[in-house]
Amino acid sequence: MKNSFDEKILEEAKDWLEAKRNVVLATVIQTWGSSPRPIGSRMIINDKGDFSGSVSGGCVETAVVRECLGLFKEKKPFKKIEFKVSNESAWEVGLACGGEIAIFLEQIN
Amino acid sequence: MKKQLLNEIIEKKEKKIEFAIITNLENGESCVFEKNKPISKNFEKHKEKINFQFEKKKNGIIEGTNIFVETYIRPIKVIIVGAVHIAQYLVNFAKSLNFEISIIDPRGYFASKKRFPDIKIINKWPKEAFAEIKTDQNTALIALTHDPKIDDPALQHALKNNFFYIGALGSKKTHANRCSRLKEAGFNDGQINKIFGPIGIKLGGRSAPEIALSIIAQLVSEVYNK
Repeated sequence: MKNSFDEKILEEAKDWLEAKRNVVLATVIQTWGSSPRPIGSRMIINDKGDFSGSVSGGCVETAVVRECLGLFKEKKPFKKIEFKVSNESAWEVGLACGGEIAIFLEQIN
Repeated sequence: MKKQLLNEIIEKKEKKIEFAIITNLENGESCVFEKNKPISKNFEKHKEKINFQFEKKKNGIIEGTNIFVETYIRPIKVIIVGAVHIAQYLVNFAKSLNFEISIIDPRGYFASKKRFPDIKIINKWPKEAFAEIKTDQNTALIALTHDPKIDDPALQHALKNNFFYIGALGSKKTHANRCSRLKEAGFNDGQINKIFGPIGIKLGGRSAPEIALSIIAQLVSEVYNK
């Protein structure tokens, strides 16, 4: 038995696009160890730096927003990023749970 | 991701179609995948593997490839019998959890659009109402009237059709009486024991939103138990 516990993130992305914002979709594509959000978890970020949804329990969202703003600036369509406990900036954005996650960032255009 | 694809995904979700989004992580290309429908040329090579992953309803990168699959499955259908106060809170919880909800209540003054905006309301007796709703093992029944005239026929329908969750509101005494009525109607203990009664996990609260929370918590826990 399974249900799709959907968080309506894509619907919100559509609203943002209609409001003429640039939007990046961030999706958890891989996890190792005890990561807080499962594969397929989503977050959206716009060019104003607003975000909605989550890819972790609040551990790496700020860093994801920063990466996305970089994508807008460089006009890059997509990028894969990873977070581990051993990240240099672990004190700031590492996963306190000891898990690791890979996130796929893609601009919606 | 193309804007057009985003719209297509949202549309399919609204229509409760089962599908997957497949993304090539190497070049950023993505499209919708549906069973028994032609697959985009760019993913043709991995068709079998994608299909296999889709059947398992598993999200993730297909081993040995750069393809990420995210499946969207049909939400569970929840049928609430009794457009009562608790139901008003249940509807809100069920909405945020993406259950598909219908309410059955023959009493027009309870089952009104005003009390339940945006919800499918069937203003009929359960027997007639179930003739209109397609139900299967992916359906849950929450019986809230504790009136045998209304609840019992719905419970009988749910037991016969093997609903994945069946719960009925009422005290232990009410539930014991209900069980003996069902026994008389020809249901065996194994079937009757499938009914969660009194409905809900033990939270301790007695208010309508608290009871609604305890019911929805039990329903979600059953989603993961089965």
